[in-house]
Amino acid sequence: MQQREEKQLEAAVDSLISRVAHLKNALHSFIYKLENEFERLEWPSVLDNFALVSGQLNTINKLLRNEKTPSFRNQVIIPLELSPDRDDELAKLTEQRVPVFSHEIVPDHLRTKPDPEVEEQEKQLNAEAARIGPEVAQKQIQTLNKLCSNLLEKLNNPRDDRDPESAAMRQNKPSFNPTDTMALVGAVVFGKGLSKCRAPGPVAPGQGPTLQQVTIGGAPGQPGGKIPSSIKTNIKSASMHPYNR
Amino acid sequence: MEAPPVTVMPVTGGSINMMEYLLQGSVLDQALESLLHRLRGLCDNMEPETFIDHELVYLLKGQQGNPFILRARHSLSHPAVPWHLRYLGQPEAGDKSRHALVRNCLDVSASHSLPDFLNEMGFRLDHEFVANGHIFRRGALKVVVSKLSRVLVPGNTENTERLSLSYLVELSVLAPAGQDTVSDDMRSFAEQLKPLVHLEKIDPSKQRH
Repeated sequence: MQQREEKQLEAAVDSLISRVAHLKNALHSFIYKLENEFERLEWPSVLDNFALVSGQLNTINKLLRNEKTPSFRNQVIIPLELSPDRDDELAKLTEQRVPVFSHEIVPDHLRTKPDPEVEEQEKQLNAEAARIGPEVAQKQIQTLNKLCSNLLEKLNNPRDDRDPESAAMRQNKPSFNPTDTMALVGAVVFGKGLSKCRAPGPVAPGQGPTLQQVTIGGAPGQPGGKIPSSIKTNIKSASMHPYNR
Repeated sequence: MEAPPVTVMPVTGGSINMMEYLLQGSVLDQALESLLHRLRGLCDNMEPETFIDHELVYLLKGQQGNPFILRARHSLSHPAVPWHLRYLGQPEAGDKSRHALVRNCLDVSASHSLPDFLNEMGFRLDHEFVANGHIFRRGALKVVVSKLSRVLVPGNTENTERLSLSYLVELSVLAPAGQDTVSDDMRSFAEQLKPLVHLEKIDPSKQRH
């Protein structure tokens, strides 16, 4: 029985080590890229690297949560021997990262509690939590829950909230009317549908007294005649000047 | 008398022959806000510009051919700014490959005595209207969204009646003749306004009264 458990533990540790090695390699190559190829590094490839790392972290998490994996929490590691001297074997195993197994370094590496700063922060948070009464806390929880559920509802039912309007715009209610387009273009180009000012008699606004004569002579729909021809000559000379210089 | 009639003479003003490339469409009043919103997103980042203009269209009838048309425009919201006189040529026919309507275009600023001057020359006021709306720009592209109103009493721009329940939408570019690539830009811009507005090359000669 005990032997089987030991075997299981060993296998779990082995697979964990290999997964961590994969993760370490991925991180290593990513850091290398960031440091040496940052000039031609493209954003998509950075994202790819992140995806790789996060995928590997996920597999490690899965592995740890797996039922067959024995609980590492139940295992205790005891430092049997501490020494201030350099340990070549250890240095080789840790890729020169930990050259000595001394009093100074052991508490950091075998730590099972959070860092002192983190502990301090946690203490503060706990104090804060204890300070506000349970009623206030309950209220805050309710508000947060309400916000979250509202948000979730909105995210889950995007069609109900957003689409009907635009869908209605697209299908039921056209945003333009081709007949109106034609009418407006006709009005702008030919004055179609606009009141004509050509009726005999009325004089357009702002006309000086000298114009009276011309307007009378050029009554609509009556080409020819004495006065129009004089108008024409006038115009010809006038319009030639500005353009055909 | 033997000179060619005014109406058939080509207009060659200034050193460059400018052409106006134009696409037109309309948008219903209730969809105006959506369109403005989209235009604000698509166009150059600038203060939204609105205008109220009064346009007077003058005709000069020769003995033959089409009448010669000039458009005089002035701002009702800024009465002090100069008048604007514009000549628009007949749209160029044919060439289906071109995406936009192309016509000769000549713009001139004018003093406030422009209507008097035109009348002296023999031009007669044909019709007038009031246009109010918004202007957007994107590079050389100009988008004008305007509501047209007819003037009920000639000359009284206070008393107007809207022409339809839609806003006229015009996308235009001024470019020297021959620069047809601008029409491609216009096309792609027009595509981005669909399905809100369909900007099209509308040949006005097909719907003359």
